[in-house]
Amino acid sequence: MKALSKIVGLAAVFAALTSCHNKQEPNYQYFPNMYESVAYEPYVESAAFSNGKEGQLPAKGSVPRGFTPYEYANTPADYERAKAELKSPLDSTQVDLKKGEELFTIYCAICHGDKGDGKGNLAKREKFAGVPNYKDRVITEGSIFHVETYGLNMMGSHANQLSQEERWQVAHYVMKLKSEL
Amino acid sequence: MSSHYEAPIRKPLIIGDKSYHDVTVDVARPVEGRANKQWWIAFTIALAAFLWGVGCVAYTVGTGIGTWGSNKTIGWAWDITNFVWWVGIGHAGTLISAVLLLFRQKWRMAINRSAEAMTIFSVIQAAMFPVFHMGRPWLAYWVMPIPNQFGSLWVNFNSPLLWDVFAISTYLSVSLVFWWTGLLPDFAMLRDRAITPFTKRVYSILSFGWSGRAKDWQRFEEVSLVLAGLATPLVLSVHTIVSFDFATSVIPGWHTTILPPYFVAGAIFSGFAMVNTLLIIMRKVSNLEAYITVQHIELMNIVIMITGSIVGVAYITELFIAWYSGVEYEQYAFINRATGPYWWSYWLMMTCNVISPQVMWFKKIRTSIMVSFIISIVVNVGMWFERFVIIVTSLHRDYLPSSWTMFQPTFVDAGFYIGTIGFFFVLFLLYSRSFPVIAQAEVKSIMKTSSEKYKKLHESHDNHSHSEHNHH
Repeated sequence: MKALSKIVGLAAVFAALTSCHNKQEPNYQYFPNMYESVAYEPYVESAAFSNGKEGQLPAKGSVPRGFTPYEYANTPADYERAKAELKSPLDSTQVDLKKGEELFTIYCAICHGDKGDGKGNLAKREKFAGVPNYKDRVITEGSIFHVETYGLNMMGSHANQLSQEERWQVAHYVMKLKSEL
Repeated sequence: MSSHYEAPIRKPLIIGDKSYHDVTVDVARPVEGRANKQWWIAFTIALAAFLWGVGCVAYTVGTGIGTWGSNKTIGWAWDITNFVWWVGIGHAGTLISAVLLLFRQKWRMAINRSAEAMTIFSVIQAAMFPVFHMGRPWLAYWVMPIPNQFGSLWVNFNSPLLWDVFAISTYLSVSLVFWWTGLLPDFAMLRDRAITPFTKRVYSILSFGWSGRAKDWQRFEEVSLVLAGLATPLVLSVHTIVSFDFATSVIPGWHTTILPPYFVAGAIFSGFAMVNTLLIIMRKVSNLEAYITVQHIELMNIVIMITGSIVGVAYITELFIAWYSGVEYEQYAFINRATGPYWWSYWLMMTCNVISPQVMWFKKIRTSIMVSFIISIVVNVGMWFERFVIIVTSLHRDYLPSSWTMFQPTFVDAGFYIGTIGFFFVLFLLYSRSFPVIAQAEVKSIMKTSSEKYKKLHESHDNHSHSEHNHH
């Protein structure tokens, strides 16, 4: 009986010692030797930079390897120019409509609808109005790419979500949807 | 008495006209008396050395292993040298209490208690080196195969360093149990003699309620024999495993199949030397000269001589095999030991370990307490250098000449070592004032066969009966 009470007492002490983890805060750590990064990891805050952010903007005019600068400006005139003359760099073997469909479903269908008829989920729930049907608009692959890159009216730029190649795949898929409407 | 026969050639193991009560009184005296000034001086020095060692260890753990003299080539130096040295010293205790028990050596009874204490205290010292030579000693528990949250990540059982963990921890726990079991009747004796309520209480707890009934004694003897039977293979395997740290490597000078028995022989050699060092002092300061006799010291010197010769044979075997192997790395390793930058440590080792025990062939020398004391210290210096030579000279010159280098210990290396010596003596000095340093129950069991008093009695009785016989 005496031994039992000792065991219970020990268990209680142990429980008290181990139960002080606050769920609102990170837990206690035992010798966090290589837990915190010595190197700068992406997105961390750092006093080493003037704006406190690890992600610093590249120098203006620099071109990374594998990237082609987009030569059209974000203006109505260049929109028209792109619509008229900009052509997809992808030949028929590189166009991947399946990939275009996947990307469209992820990034576009929420407003434009799976069929491109302007009846996406947000439009149906009347979160906002004015999403056009592709059928009603004059669009070319060049204008689609331009709008994806810069956005137009309500729509924002998707250049940070989709690479150039992906935007062309989506443009090809949008043209296919338009032809089916 | 007529049923008893012991060869008259055997010299008495208990000198003087001792009765059972005299044994009790003699063993209890250091425990029941007060410490004298010399004890306090010795204790203070040991404690200071210990605390200095604690400081050095704290500095090492707090700052890093780079405070030591080890480098990229010589990753093991004083740390493992001292580890192997302390483990080796510990082996004599088990040898004396277990192996000599199996061989029915009655002379072990006066020395086994202190030898076992020495084992336990030196294994404690040894065990500190594997922990504190780690870069991250706070993760030392990872060497244990404990189920865990890393997908139950386990240890690799192929490393002799892991076997070391099991060997040393098993060795320490078995030795401790063996020692404590033997202490029960002696603690009971102190309990029954206690005058103050405090000592009464302390020795009541320590003696586990030993009452010395026939059944208790019968089981006590069986347990001792079983533990001796278990401790004997253990003691051989522990130092074998320690030697595997080197023998299983690919380093020329380390990769040798002779290392296991050679290390064990060296362990017995240095361990017995340490027992001799301690007991020569103890018999004097604790007035136990009647029990730890010159014969005991002579017998230990003989063990030292035999194991020293085994070690000598091992040295020669290593040299022969190096030459015979035709492996230039192996040959160079031994040329480097004898003539390289650490030649002095090699020749110091050779002198201390091979030549010094050979003087024991002379009876005059091996029965001289003064010489035995000096030789016992010389042997331990030599055995320290043996481990140093094996470890450092093999590492500092091996396959790639571009990684040849030297080793220079720092004060932290030395401080840790001094600290363990201090800690050992702190424990041993405390032990010698609170524990019965002679297994009085065992000594009493040989009283009627091996004490001077009873031997004389037998002799006169025998002569008497002879003359009676003649008269008829």
